[in-house]
Amino acid sequence: MLKLFRYGFAELSSISQLSRCLSIGACSRAFTSQARRDPSETDEATAAINEGERLNLESDSTRTNSNADPHQNPYKNEMEETFAPFRFVYPEFLPDPTIKWRNRVREKLERMDMLKRRSNIDIPEFYVGSILSVTLSDRNAPGKTNTFVGICIQREGTAMRSMFTLRNVVDGHGVEITFDLYNPTILNITCLRLEKRLDENLRYLRDAPPEYSTFPFDMVPELRNPDAPVPINTLKVKLNPKPWHAKWQLWDLKGVEDFSHELESREWRKLNTWKFSEGYETAKYDLMKTYRSTIPAEEQTEIYSEVHQQLAKLTASLRKQKRKRTFVKPQKTV
Amino acid sequence: MVFPPPIKVHAAPKLVNLVSKLNVRVLPTRRRLSQPDGPEGRLKRMRNIVTALVKNERIEVRYHSGDEARGYAERLISEAIRYGDLHKPTMDLAKFWIHDEAAVPKLFKVLVPRYKQWPSGLPYTRMLKAPTNIADYMNSTSLYAQHLFGVLELRGNPFPPLPGPFAKPHPGAIHNVLLEEARKEYFRSQTNIEKQAEQQTQAVPVPDEEDPLEQMTHNLLSESPTTESPESKK
Amino acid sequence: MTSTLLPSVRRTFQTGRGQLLQNAGVVGPLWKLGNLQFLLNGSNTAFGGSVTFIQTREMSKVKHRHTHPRHIWAKKRRERNDQELTDDNQSFLKKIIYDTYGPTTFDWRAENTGMPFVSPLKQIIHERGVWEPRSIRTGVIARKIGIHPMWDKEGKRMLTTLLQVTDNHVLKYIPPEVVQRNYGKRFTRQDVGLLLVGAESADPQRFTKEYLNLFEESGLPPKTKISRFMVTPNAKLQPGTPLFATHFKVGQLVEIFGHTIDHGFQGVMKRWGFKGMPASHGVTKSHRRGGNTGGGGEKARIWPGTKLPGHMGNRWRKLKGQEIVRINTKYNVLYIRGPAVMGEVGSFVTVCDTFMSSVETMDKSTIPFPTHYPEESEETIPEEYYVPNLFNFGEPSIVFEEKR
Repeated sequence: MLKLFRYGFAELSSISQLSRCLSIGACSRAFTSQARRDPSETDEATAAINEGERLNLESDSTRTNSNADPHQNPYKNEMEETFAPFRFVYPEFLPDPTIKWRNRVREKLERMDMLKRRSNIDIPEFYVGSILSVTLSDRNAPGKTNTFVGICIQREGTAMRSMFTLRNVVDGHGVEITFDLYNPTILNITCLRLEKRLDENLRYLRDAPPEYSTFPFDMVPELRNPDAPVPINTLKVKLNPKPWHAKWQLWDLKGVEDFSHELESREWRKLNTWKFSEGYETAKYDLMKTYRSTIPAEEQTEIYSEVHQQLAKLTASLRKQKRKRTFVKPQKTV
Repeated sequence: MVFPPPIKVHAAPKLVNLVSKLNVRVLPTRRRLSQPDGPEGRLKRMRNIVTALVKNERIEVRYHSGDEARGYAERLISEAIRYGDLHKPTMDLAKFWIHDEAAVPKLFKVLVPRYKQWPSGLPYTRMLKAPTNIADYMNSTSLYAQHLFGVLELRGNPFPPLPGPFAKPHPGAIHNVLLEEARKEYFRSQTNIEKQAEQQTQAVPVPDEEDPLEQMTHNLLSESPTTESPESKK
Repeated sequence: MTSTLLPSVRRTFQTGRGQLLQNAGVVGPLWKLGNLQFLLNGSNTAFGGSVTFIQTREMSKVKHRHTHPRHIWAKKRRERNDQELTDDNQSFLKKIIYDTYGPTTFDWRAENTGMPFVSPLKQIIHERGVWEPRSIRTGVIARKIGIHPMWDKEGKRMLTTLLQVTDNHVLKYIPPEVVQRNYGKRFTRQDVGLLLVGAESADPQRFTKEYLNLFEESGLPPKTKISRFMVTPNAKLQPGTPLFATHFKVGQLVEIFGHTIDHGFQGVMKRWGFKGMPASHGVTKSHRRGGNTGGGGEKARIWPGTKLPGHMGNRWRKLKGQEIVRINTKYNVLYIRGPAVMGEVGSFVTVCDTFMSSVETMDKSTIPFPTHYPEESEETIPEEYYVPNLFNFGEPSIVFEEKR
């Protein structure tokens, strides 16, 4: 009986959170209603929200039954739906999900620094599979600047640590460069072709023929409708024969042609053993594992509602500047 | 061998699914319970507890297993609330975690409506430590025999409440009686002080005109000062 | 600060080869070069003026890691009472606590500014000391909140560790006479007093009466963490004085003292970086073992200091001469150059001025003495201070100019 008393203290802590959470919810609701009512006053805010709505159409494909009976699908949060697609466009604003490394103050300070940096450089929306051109200051290069063009094969890290890797084939040699997204020596990042691929990362291009990762350095940025959804490139890459840099059979690669003829019987056996020993079939049902590897939706909403206004303002002003710079007044010719 | 093999990259959150925030304490890593049947066996053990919880709403389990399964139950309910039963992945989840098919509709028809308007910040489940007769475990080598069992229950269940933190504290206990008296005395003295202050304000002596400090205090004490001293004007 | 070399002196006495030295009685100054220690004897000894050197190993039998608090310390946490209080009584206690202390609970996990809560200090009674060349200021208690990269103006990447100064107050000053009486010659300097500093106010109901007695003099609510700092009498502070991150200046070198990460019982590969043995080629059951530990003959035993498996981490460590590259005054955060600060995220460390006068380049007289009083500063404090060569993210991108 006494032990039951003891546990009661732990329960109380969650109840004490109640009032705080309620007040936060009330604030957020008030904010959305205001933003919806008078769009003329908060232009930037609504621009971001509209952008979010546009992205919402393409990305949230898991929600198949959006037109279903509201009684069946009762969960509806306007703020959350608005900001949910931001996680694909600005993934680096979410912190590292490792619980023991998290700290609210540090995350906030990092976000402030990132916004400061974004006020000086336009970091475009890009994904794994997009083709980028990066110009950066280089002390040893002639002209003191250097430009690299390549396909983005990987994005990693969070916040100030976030990085992306570009791959290209130069003079028959595969070249990969990893850039820090917030490195102050970067002068310009341009997205030459905005598209997605089927896989989370394209490291397997190392074992693919060079034509899959060869791009000219004088590539012209492709024009696209800014309101259209980002296209998904369903290209299937044909891998070189073995030996490979890694055991690609261990990942469920979707953007690769069938390579089962490459595997020997012993490798098949080993693959099946590993899958069995690690509970491969049931791993997707491990709900706590997925929880520990993501940031909950409520926290995401909190983060993006904090930064989105400033982000929209920055991107709008920077793009305006860029257009001014590129636009050359036509001169009369005789 | 971990499957798939780990790659040395900086960690980033997975973006595919949106999950609701849990209102229970989440440990940094999972508990290292014994898993003789491998990771699959571990999930099956958790599944047995979750199924029993959904069916019976209040169960007695080993404390650490129960607390571990509590997170899974919370997640399952939050997924059901978020996506509903027409969402195929969620239905698959429900069928995996509730291996009795007759109990699956209960999740969507009974529990989801119950927790739909649940106050935010309050968890759906409750975990308590059950009293254990230590004499039964005298022969066991475990030093933690007193924390062997716990009670895991869904909040808002139809059963009578458990004794413990939810039973009212006894007002007749000695410390409560003493504190009660102290409280009464405190407020009595407070009222006395207020009365004294009132009396003082009523009988404020006429201030000495030469002393500015005294005049200022007089002005402060009397709520509507009729005359203002030349100092205060400046 | 106690001398870190003291235990090693004691160790040489304990070994058999230190017998002659022990008879000599007096031990002069001591230098440490690698694993060789030179001991210079005093003048009135049997070996007058001679130099003896003894090889010692880094590890020894001296116990470095204490797993429980000392018996003379006051017991901190109160045992939770099984008997609940009624609602009226609980709210009454809360009211009393609020009336006496003001807001008391500091949650470091939540988003906070680290600013000290209201100080009971109405006016400063202690006279404020004036800086002299050999005076020592107090330090602060901080929490390690994480690591992230920054860049200098040359575009070079560096890692910085963030330390947040959380709700610090001075608790007590112990004058040098009392220190002399209680501790004798334990400190390197004899003219110093001690200053107790506490961090992070907490609910008084959680602590024992003995622990609460420590806070009676200052009139503060109980603090989660207490630490003591060696100060000269001119740097003493009145109990109740709040301490901020602006206690330090950017570009200053500091010493950081704290517990390392606890790794538990570890093998030689993780603990000492041994190579282990091959995975195949006939090796069985000893892929991660240390191998041979000593020779035969007269040395047929494990020598003291041999690298073996054992408990790793959770030990006091001191970092000297760490540079503060940036200070955030709003959130009270110090940015330290490098990722070397010990401990996990969320662990406590103490930060004080460095004693390495040869390395310190800053003019010490410009550092706020005895501490920074923000309410007395005439100009408004900027939110951020940067070292001149650190890149501020508000500036435009780095461009290198071509030499002509």
